[in-house]
Amino acid sequence: MSAVEARVAQLEEIFLRFELKAESDADNKTGGPLVPRARHYELAQALKEAGWTSYVAVVASHWLEEKKGETVVDVEHFEVATALRSVGAGTLVAKWRVRLELNEDIDSLFPLFAGADWQEREQYDLVGVSFKGHPDLRRLMMPDEWVGHPLRKDYAIETGCAPWR
Amino acid sequence: MAVAETPPAAPVTPAAQATPIAPVTQVAASTGPLVPSGPPRDGPIPPIRAARTPRTDCKPTKAFVPEPHLDLSTYEADADLMTLSLGPQHPSTHGVFRVVLYLDGEQIVKAVPYPGYLHRGVEKLCEKLMASNITPIIDKNDYVAPMTNEQAVNMAFESLMGVEVPVRARYLRTVLAETQRVASHLLWLGTFGMDLGGALGGGTSLFMWCFRERELILDLFENLTGCRFHYNTHTVGGNRHDVPAGWPEMLHRTLGAIDERLDQYLGMLEHPIFSARTKGVGVIDADLALELGLTGPLLRASGVDHDLRRDAPYHAYAEVDLKVFVEDAGDCWARSKVRIEEMRESIRISRILVDNLPPGPICSTKPLKMVGQHKLPPGQVYVGIETPRGELGTWLIGGGANKGSSPYRLKIRSPSLHACAVIPYVLPGCSLSDAIAILGSLDPVMGEVDR
Repeated sequence: MSAVEARVAQLEEIFLRFELKAESDADNKTGGPLVPRARHYELAQALKEAGWTSYVAVVASHWLEEKKGETVVDVEHFEVATALRSVGAGTLVAKWRVRLELNEDIDSLFPLFAGADWQEREQYDLVGVSFKGHPDLRRLMMPDEWVGHPLRKDYAIETGCAPWR
Repeated sequence: MAVAETPPAAPVTPAAQATPIAPVTQVAASTGPLVPSGPPRDGPIPPIRAARTPRTDCKPTKAFVPEPHLDLSTYEADADLMTLSLGPQHPSTHGVFRVVLYLDGEQIVKAVPYPGYLHRGVEKLCEKLMASNITPIIDKNDYVAPMTNEQAVNMAFESLMGVEVPVRARYLRTVLAETQRVASHLLWLGTFGMDLGGALGGGTSLFMWCFRERELILDLFENLTGCRFHYNTHTVGGNRHDVPAGWPEMLHRTLGAIDERLDQYLGMLEHPIFSARTKGVGVIDADLALELGLTGPLLRASGVDHDLRRDAPYHAYAEVDLKVFVEDAGDCWARSKVRIEEMRESIRISRILVDNLPPGPICSTKPLKMVGQHKLPPGQVYVGIETPRGELGTWLIGGGANKGSSPYRLKIRSPSLHACAVIPYVLPGCSLSDAIAILGSLDPVMGEVDR
């Protein structure tokens, strides 16, 4: 059993413990399994203890209301995907997604991973997802007085901005 | 405390007060030695600055626990707390970046970085463009190593679309990535010498030497792609420019010349002034490095044996026996050592692979003729590769409402962002002059931090 296979087996075992569908990394083009919001922090903690010690990224995306004809298929929501990496031989990325309704927030991973600090600030700034428990949730890229979150789908590219002072 | 204890300024002597300042008269050009104008002065010259008793308690008075979110109202300063805004135009920030430093004497108490001056909205822009249009824009992200940027984003597209890359293109990509790594590290070494001032051969000498050799590599890339800097040579499914006649020999000549000079650079690491300025300065321990998501030379200098080229091989890295350099100290010196050793290894790999370039096509897709030729299927992929600065990841979401050839969401996980995020942890407790050395050793590229 190679180092990669061992890691894959370990990841599948952890995902099964969280009642998630285990997916192999090779043809996994879903961005990882959907995790309930309440278990997001718990899963990150379990993965950190199992050796996924390096913080990779958090990606928030905004999904508009989807309609098929007149019927609403899906309401407007956010999706927050997180990735952690195990280091050394057989390195493997563990990915999972959390679906958020518009008024919901998600637990910050800052207490576990210091690298989540700036990544979460960036996603808050650009997409507008709120991270609960973040010590310093300010805008990272845009100026403090900026209105709106540029990476939302209803934010037009041609939005005007006040001159920089 | 220190301010209260300093003696009052020495009173200005009455003699100096009484003597009016003589107007500057033109010195006669004719004869005689130069004499100061004005009447001769009796007695000693009054000191320009009041004498100060030297502080005897000038030592790091507090055993410092770096606290990035330190509440300054609870901090008891020895002297007055001074706020210093380093940047956004300071040369040692290697771009446009501001760090607000709170200083207690010479010691940094808290550092608050403010990135975002180079934010251009690349991720938003990419949601309107196709893969072939995105490549030249991604070039400008890490403008010190554009080749690896192109590779990262194109590999994400290939992964989502399920496109195979021919063997020849995989070899060529490896050669380009490794050659680019040498160029990027050379630029870092030159600017690091500038940051340290006279420590490495005095100011600009090292900078000029490194740029002299980097020019040779840019010539090499110009010969291949026609561009010296923003190459746009990678595409979905392979490369656009095949190796011209005589290019492998040119690469051997260039890299061989650089390889000879690397010994001189390694010798510089032992220079006493360089050692004094970098050894034990800015130590990042392995746990913090992992937690913060540091990658690349920064992580390896902290003693973590991790390299995506060896541990999760892509391109043609599985075909070569890559040696990974690890240093345990985690200080500026270790980071310098790892980078210089990496250059030598990159040169070795490039020279092996360019000799073994397999024949065949360099691209598996047809040249783009019309909009929408390459459809992006729905799905999400994450692809991370090892650039000169660490793991550059691309999170690509296809499908969604776009349903065309442009991504629904493209997120770039840049290693420089995490390198800058380490600043609030490392700078507290250091002196101001160490801060410049630490910033230089992190090697961030601001175009990649702010995107």
